[in-house]
Amino acid sequence: MRHIIENKNERKYKLFPLTMTSSAIHIHNLRKSYIVSKRESGVLAALQSLVVRHTEEVPAVDGISFDLAPGEVVGFLGPNGAGKTTTLKMLSGLLHPTAGEVSVLGFVPWKREKAFLRQITLVMGQRNELVWDIPALDSFELNRAIYRVPPADYRSILDELTELLDLGPLLHKPVRNLSLGERMKCEIAAALLHRPQVVFLDEPTIGLDVTMQRRIRKFVAEYNYRFGATVLLTSHYMADVEALCRRVIVIHNGKLLFDGELSSLVQKFTAHKTIVVQLDDIYADLHTYGEVVSRDDGHITLRVPKAETARVTERLLANLPVIDLLVEDPPIEEVIERVFAQGSS
Amino acid sequence: MAGGYPDLFGGGRVNYLRLFGVYFRLSVMGELAYRVNFYVQLFQSLVELTTALTGLAVIFSYTNNLAGWSPNEMLALVGVYFITGGLIGLVIQPSLEQFITSVRDGNLDFTLVKPEDAQFLMSFQVVNIWKLIDIVMGFSVLITALLRLGNKVGAGQAITFGLMLLTGTVIIYSFWLILATLSFWFVRVENILVIFQSMYEAGRWPISLYPGWLRFGLTFIVPVAFATTVPAEALTGRLTGNTLIDAMVVACALLVVSRVFWRIGLRRYSGASA
Amino acid sequence: MKDLVVLYLQQFKTTFASMLQYRASLFIWMIGSVLEPLVYLVVWSTVSVSHGGDVGGYTAAQFAAYFIVLMLVNQVTYTWIMYEYEYRIREGLLSPVLLRPVHPIHADISENISSKLITLPVLFVIAAGLAWFFKPTVAFLPWTILPFIPALVLAFLVRFLVEWTLAQSAFWTTRVSAINQVYFVLVLFLSGQIAPLSLFPRSIQILADLLPFRWMIGFPVELILGRIDPIQALTGLGAQAIWLIISLGLVRIVWRAGIRIYSAVGA
Repeated sequence: MRHIIENKNERKYKLFPLTMTSSAIHIHNLRKSYIVSKRESGVLAALQSLVVRHTEEVPAVDGISFDLAPGEVVGFLGPNGAGKTTTLKMLSGLLHPTAGEVSVLGFVPWKREKAFLRQITLVMGQRNELVWDIPALDSFELNRAIYRVPPADYRSILDELTELLDLGPLLHKPVRNLSLGERMKCEIAAALLHRPQVVFLDEPTIGLDVTMQRRIRKFVAEYNYRFGATVLLTSHYMADVEALCRRVIVIHNGKLLFDGELSSLVQKFTAHKTIVVQLDDIYADLHTYGEVVSRDDGHITLRVPKAETARVTERLLANLPVIDLLVEDPPIEEVIERVFAQGSS
Repeated sequence: MAGGYPDLFGGGRVNYLRLFGVYFRLSVMGELAYRVNFYVQLFQSLVELTTALTGLAVIFSYTNNLAGWSPNEMLALVGVYFITGGLIGLVIQPSLEQFITSVRDGNLDFTLVKPEDAQFLMSFQVVNIWKLIDIVMGFSVLITALLRLGNKVGAGQAITFGLMLLTGTVIIYSFWLILATLSFWFVRVENILVIFQSMYEAGRWPISLYPGWLRFGLTFIVPVAFATTVPAEALTGRLTGNTLIDAMVVACALLVVSRVFWRIGLRRYSGASA
Repeated sequence: MKDLVVLYLQQFKTTFASMLQYRASLFIWMIGSVLEPLVYLVVWSTVSVSHGGDVGGYTAAQFAAYFIVLMLVNQVTYTWIMYEYEYRIREGLLSPVLLRPVHPIHADISENISSKLITLPVLFVIAAGLAWFFKPTVAFLPWTILPFIPALVLAFLVRFLVEWTLAQSAFWTTRVSAINQVYFVLVLFLSGQIAPLSLFPRSIQILADLLPFRWMIGFPVELILGRIDPIQALTGLGAQAIWLIISLGLVRIVWRAGIRIYSAVGA
């Protein structure tokens, strides 16, 4: 397991200040079940399935509730199949809920009223909306016509997005000639030309290199700060959430496991702390001090129970030639894994 | 602050026209990058035409009358066949094929999240401009046939022809839409293309040729008759008032039915309870 | 050889199960294979009626017999493999197939036959219905059953191998549809689909004999309808055998060349 020692304070971006107005997004006891046909393997079962259909009801989202204030940036975390994308689809009107309340900007999403659709946008990672053979700028024309963006507003939003996303040289190249990251930036720009108030991002950084991921995170924060858009972001990557979200919602097996500040998530779900020691003697045996997680050129990572942290630190400093020592919360990936593990039991 | 934009340009119809203009422009721009496609389409259309004409030649080497249609009247029918085929291949077919793909790969979601009618967006999103070759070729064949027939085509006939061409296209569009809507229920619906092609092939022959049940099938189940035979009848003086009315009634009815079916399909896709 | 049998049995189980899943589209495709011969049946029946009851040795009822049998034989021998390969190469689905230690053609044949096991029963019912309506007449000669079986099998193999070879053109060009179109036109005219070959001028008939198309469809049909004598039947089988050997060779050559191109360009 890799362990990164980093300065905790550099991560957060400046975000839109929240006010005590009514929710931008409100869901209550939201439920979505799918009816799925069951089938055994083998030829006999295949023939049987012609006559008899066995079905079962699978809950993708199983009674979740939360509210988002206007301008909030919230991270929506969960493993594959947890119900994140299903929830996003219900919020954007693509799916009808099986039960429960859902309202976005005061609209009922699945009614798909035009006034509602004009104020939201959905960006899906690794999915392309731009026309392949022509420059992105020309594809933008389509969204411009569909969303009826007035010429002056179009020019100004385009300039802002170009500046924020470094789009300059990219806009005139055919989309097929762009790299994955460049394409993603153009897709995001296309999705924001109509200045939506609510932005749904479904794994926007998936498959992108680290630099591009950071770029897009920064952009989302700046967009939120400048336009006060409410952002609901799903991701696998902790870094996305750490950088952007004050608040995280964790979903697993269709149920909410956690809804609150990221720091309290860490507090609630860790029973351990991580100690990283840099020693003169790189072959030292530390197993009596705690669980040795890794050794990386002179840095030994130990996992110790929270209560023991002070004592173990003392002993290390007293008994060994310590060059450097750092006490930390375990990596958030580990925390989340524990949250999921707890959730599925 | 953010908030979306209210109706501009009076909204409604004008925006649909504008949208189609954008789709057309984007398709042209995209296609111009592949100019070789012009030659490929020209080649394919010529091969198709040769096939049709050769088939006719073989048949008319044994007779000079096919269910009452003379060789030149059959030629006119072939012309109409290519014109309507071209109209279908220009917008209807490529757009709905793209739609079928987008149901499967999930890109349909992008369209559904837009504040414009999804049926319109899906039906006009792709324009295959090279199909204009078929339309031009069809008109050439048609005009040749009419000249050889020595028919004087009056304004009335021309207008009826245009009207029947329009109703035929609308009928085929609605039919295509119904087939495409099936992709909300069945996965591998792109095979529909092959089926339509062979069904449409039956339209190269006058429907009076076919036995009653097949004639019924080719008029009301897969409405090929309205696309080819009926407009051709308008120009060869065979069109009856009844058929004219029938065509327009069927066009309106199918437009409504396909729209209703589309909406049912959308509701299914979004998991609305029946 | 035994391994091959085991392989095919296993292939069949998997492809049959998956073809059952796609039965809807299989039946939709079948409509096309019914309609084309039906259209020509009607056209030629009409021509024969207006020609004094007989065209080139075929009455309307005999045309009915010809096209109904043609419909069935065509269903037995047809493939869609050209579309399949174009799709696979375009979508990059070929790589996993290439990684297997068996030639992909076996899976393709298995898939083809599995789908026909599902559609043929239905097609027989449709043929029966058409026969009831069009009242075909056949001068059936019992001895023709003997050469008919191998003729049908050879027809299937020749057609499959030729079209499989053609399908590999997707390695070299994206214009597969243009190539397919020319091919289909040739098949249409030269295999007896648009009209019995005896209705064509002598020069065309010779061409049809030299090319494989007649041996893919027309020959078994003419055979079972009692339209050719035993000597012609034997030479016909011989022609099929020759084309089988030729097409096997083509398959090998084209496949090897195709792989080289594919791996050079990168999967």
